[in-house]
Amino acid sequence: MEFLALFLALLAFLLAVPVPRALSTARFRSRSPWSAMLLWQAIALAGGLSILGAPMTYGLAPFGESLPEAVAEVIRLMFAEDYTALAEREVHPTHIFALCFSVVMGGHLLLTLLRTYMRVLASRRRHRDLVRLLSTPVDGSPGADLGRHSGLGAQLDDAHVIEHDAPLAYCLPGRTYAGSVTVISRGLLDQLSEKELAAVVAHERTHLHQRHHLLTMAFDAWYRALPWLPTARHGREAVLELTEMLADDGALQHHSRDDLLRSLALSSPEEESKEAELSRHSSALITGVRLKRLIVPPQPLGRPAASGILSAAAALLLVPTGLLLTL
Amino acid sequence: MATLGDLERSVMSLLWEGDTSLSANDVRDQLGEDLAVTTVLTVLSRLEKKGLVRRERSTRPHRYTATASREEHTVEMLNEVLGTASDREAVLARFIGGVSEEEAAALRRILK
Repeated sequence: MEFLALFLALLAFLLAVPVPRALSTARFRSRSPWSAMLLWQAIALAGGLSILGAPMTYGLAPFGESLPEAVAEVIRLMFAEDYTALAEREVHPTHIFALCFSVVMGGHLLLTLLRTYMRVLASRRRHRDLVRLLSTPVDGSPGADLGRHSGLGAQLDDAHVIEHDAPLAYCLPGRTYAGSVTVISRGLLDQLSEKELAAVVAHERTHLHQRHHLLTMAFDAWYRALPWLPTARHGREAVLELTEMLADDGALQHHSRDDLLRSLALSSPEEESKEAELSRHSSALITGVRLKRLIVPPQPLGRPAASGILSAAAALLLVPTGLLLTL
Repeated sequence: MATLGDLERSVMSLLWEGDTSLSANDVRDQLGEDLAVTTVLTVLSRLEKKGLVRRERSTRPHRYTATASREEHTVEMLNEVLGTASDREAVLARFIGGVSEEEAAALRRILK
């Protein structure tokens, strides 16, 4: 078990520092955002598993040969208050400390995940209430004023229009796809052509269809739980960037590259405008890499490389789990 | 048949447009629909629970006002979208607004 603890500690370190650093700048991500996304998810899970598993297996090592046996022995000794048995097994205070650490850390991670989930749900509910009250749904309401785009109703379908001059579009995931909303602003509606608007809405709808909000949730929680860990922040940003690339790809299936690019350009802030001020506070979601792959589409990743990445992701999940369960 | 959500919208528009506070009876009369006062009261208490409406309990019948103007609520909402990274979790990645000025200028040049 001590060997396993060492292995898990090494894995935890690799997954916490060098691997995310390399992956967040890896060039293949623009060629195959899907495989990069899978790899990130595997890293988040395996990272958590090894960070908890390393101290736990180390702490349990003196108590038994296998994991279940050691856990049972610890529980038995806790109730028996058998100090001589502790001495016989050569239990060092560091073993006890490691066990406590893994329990506290596990609780912290779990609670943070839960709290992040509840908080996100609550603020989404509130936001959805506001959207419902402040915006006009495009479909079904004859009063929906689409300006010069009166013919666009069918394509925008369930989008909501909010009266604001800043050009923006976003989506708000609901519990089901039907409960989700896509919001576009009056400013966007005025600036874009019908085709460009349709491309924007398709982009947002891809976010919802592919449930990107669930893919980013774990990384939001990691960041909230360990904000001092630089890789928690990098991971979150990298995953957000990947969701944008995936949504772009979704939009490109039915809309032209030019329309999507033009909608990006036209809706970005002009210098010295009030909107520019608003958006300067936000971190850049349209990164250079994302723009570049829209302008010059990269070669999709070859089959061997893609399956290599997939196997790496699978191995990340299966190897530590398997070792923990079989030992 | 109007849904509760539709009614909430109409009631909020009334409260936002008028400057004065309204009682449930006023709201029903101004909506001009065939509504029971109890329905209006339900809608108002739902809105109160959501923090959109304030109830003045000193008068009888109770009178209601909007807690903030429509514009203030819009700004609150958009701040959540465009705001700092930490409270952006609710909405999913807005589409635009994140391009730097140089990138935007470069894009416009490419597309021209």
